[in-house]
Amino acid sequence: MITKEMKISEILKLYPETLQIFLKMSPHFKKLENKILRKALAGRVNVEQAAKIAGVDPNHLLFELNKAINSQIQEEIISDNNLDNTLNLENQKSEFLINILEEKIIELDVRPILDSGIDPFNDIMKKVKNLKDDEVLLIINSFEPVPLYSVLGRKGFDHFTKKEGDTFKIYFFKKQISDDNLKIFKEPNEEIDINDFEKVIELNVRDLPPPEPMMKILEALSQIDEKSVLLVHHHREPVMLYPKLEERGYEAITYQVDENYYKVLIMKKRN
Amino acid sequence: MNEQISVAGIYSPPFKIVVKYFIAAIISFIIFNLMLVIDYKSISGHHFQPKILSINHILTLGFITMIIFGAMFQLVPVVLEVKLFSTILAEIQFWIYTFGVILLTYKFYYFSSNLSFVLPALLLSLAMMIFTINIVISMTKVKKWNITGSYLASALFWLLITALAGYLLSKNLDKPFIKINHLQYLKLHAITAFVGWVSMVVMGVSFKLIPMFTLSHGYKLTLAKWSFVLINIGLLGINWIMHYPDTGFYNLIFGVLIFSGIILYLIQIFIIFKKRIRKKLDIGLKFSAFAFIMMGFSLLLNFSFLFFNYESIKNLTLLYGFTVLVGYVSFLIVGQMYKIVPFLVWYHKYSSKVGLQQVPMLKDMFNEKLAEIQFYLMIAGLVLLVPSLMIEIEILVFISFLLFALSSFIFGYNMITIFRS
Repeated sequence: MITKEMKISEILKLYPETLQIFLKMSPHFKKLENKILRKALAGRVNVEQAAKIAGVDPNHLLFELNKAINSQIQEEIISDNNLDNTLNLENQKSEFLINILEEKIIELDVRPILDSGIDPFNDIMKKVKNLKDDEVLLIINSFEPVPLYSVLGRKGFDHFTKKEGDTFKIYFFKKQISDDNLKIFKEPNEEIDINDFEKVIELNVRDLPPPEPMMKILEALSQIDEKSVLLVHHHREPVMLYPKLEERGYEAITYQVDENYYKVLIMKKRN
Repeated sequence: MNEQISVAGIYSPPFKIVVKYFIAAIISFIIFNLMLVIDYKSISGHHFQPKILSINHILTLGFITMIIFGAMFQLVPVVLEVKLFSTILAEIQFWIYTFGVILLTYKFYYFSSNLSFVLPALLLSLAMMIFTINIVISMTKVKKWNITGSYLASALFWLLITALAGYLLSKNLDKPFIKINHLQYLKLHAITAFVGWVSMVVMGVSFKLIPMFTLSHGYKLTLAKWSFVLINIGLLGINWIMHYPDTGFYNLIFGVLIFSGIILYLIQIFIIFKKRIRKKLDIGLKFSAFAFIMMGFSLLLNFSFLFFNYESIKNLTLLYGFTVLVGYVSFLIVGQMYKIVPFLVWYHKYSSKVGLQQVPMLKDMFNEKLAEIQFYLMIAGLVLLVPSLMIEIEILVFISFLLFALSSFIFGYNMITIFRS
């Protein structure tokens, strides 16, 4: 999983195939093809900064990168005969959409609104507000409304984008699939949903040597209150950290994405 | 893909216990280096020589095994996510073991005293059994097993075999009863100790520690699994075949298995190093990297035994011993201690204060420049020792031992600094 704070050089090192994504996203990234320039530029810049430089939406870039590596992780896992554990996100989404009944799809074509020079944002939000849990919002647009992904993402929506000629069809639906810490069970009956928190503070410590991950995490604790959760991207399970969290009245739930990627959710102790 | 982990328990390993073992080991290391300087004259000639045996056991039992005990108490809970079964046992074991090491090395050194060999051998075996019981019971509670666990478990088995062979040898020294050549058993004792116990632990732990310090990921541990299988089969074979006379051919076969296993291991480590995200090696990793190079070098040396009449090369056994025990094992331990000890002390003293007040960084806890000097002194000592032993120039041997001693003082000083920071 790639996060916004990850350095481009690190991403390219871990997942060389993402180079194609960068090249596809913007001609600005052409420089990455050159090994020397790659060393010079990519080591300083993280995904967010790179996106700004190239003038693309960072969320979109992030999404595309993760899509690429997820399919790569998919392939790895398939070759490991480990199919039951995998979630082929895109397939699942499209399958899910196929199974959606016509009447459950609320359609909004924003092209005429745009043509009349009005920002369709409010119309979209109104539709979202009235959307029932089992309904799907279909936005039809002449370009891909990338910023909308993160706006609705924060409201707990996942999306699936289809391109048909010059039109984009984007289906927004309540997240069903655990692609990003949706449901983490501590005990079988106790469900933690990251969406229950108003604020998610993300922290990536994957490229820090010990004990810096612990330091960064403990320093970030002051930002957490009852309504927020700290989501740490870690390269191993921080077993030495747990007692220190305990001491300060926090608890952690860790879940393993793969061999060297763990997500640790840290929150105030609940009673 | 998304495997779920429940909140882990509190594994905080007992700092006091671990530190006890570490300090005893550091003291042993310095004593070992001093003994080299004091007794440099006796370090030549045949390796079955009382003073050499004494000095050797100060290193292997006092330093190497002592460190492994302490490190395993620290790492088993963290790596396997279990609580250590009993800190009281670890405490009892420490005193029995330390007393055993002192008695044994004393007895070897003065050889002709009234003390029987059996008592220290029994004390050491007892301590090792207590250790094994403590770790094995901890291991039974492991929920998620991994390759490091397998390596450590087999290492425990070989530790007991080593202790048993050592005990038989000690009885034999008191009153010869073994029908087969004493030296045959001595070989078995040494191979099992070095490959089965020390190397198994080193390998198993390195799969966890090296990637953690170099921040390597995205590699597979396939070679590690093969290495584990080959080395264990080889060791079982050698331990079985040694009880029969004239088994040169089989020895060779099992030797080659062990050999191949170690080569696979080295390739695996090389892959991990290559995949590292942090390109710059700090002093701890420099020591470790050099140790792995020496490990490969000692393999080559070992291999040459097959083709050379090694009687013709003076002091080859001794050279080999220094290559392995100082060049590979001691370098690796020193390097890993420069990484682990600061972290342990930091965790113990400062981790509760993070975010509440200024805490030191690990690299501020000891003098890295001095550690660099120690690194080059140790290498210089090793490089000088090889020709000096081969052409038997005593004064040069003495000088290289002085370099070792100097480097061990620096190490001791740095470690004290860390403990007191």
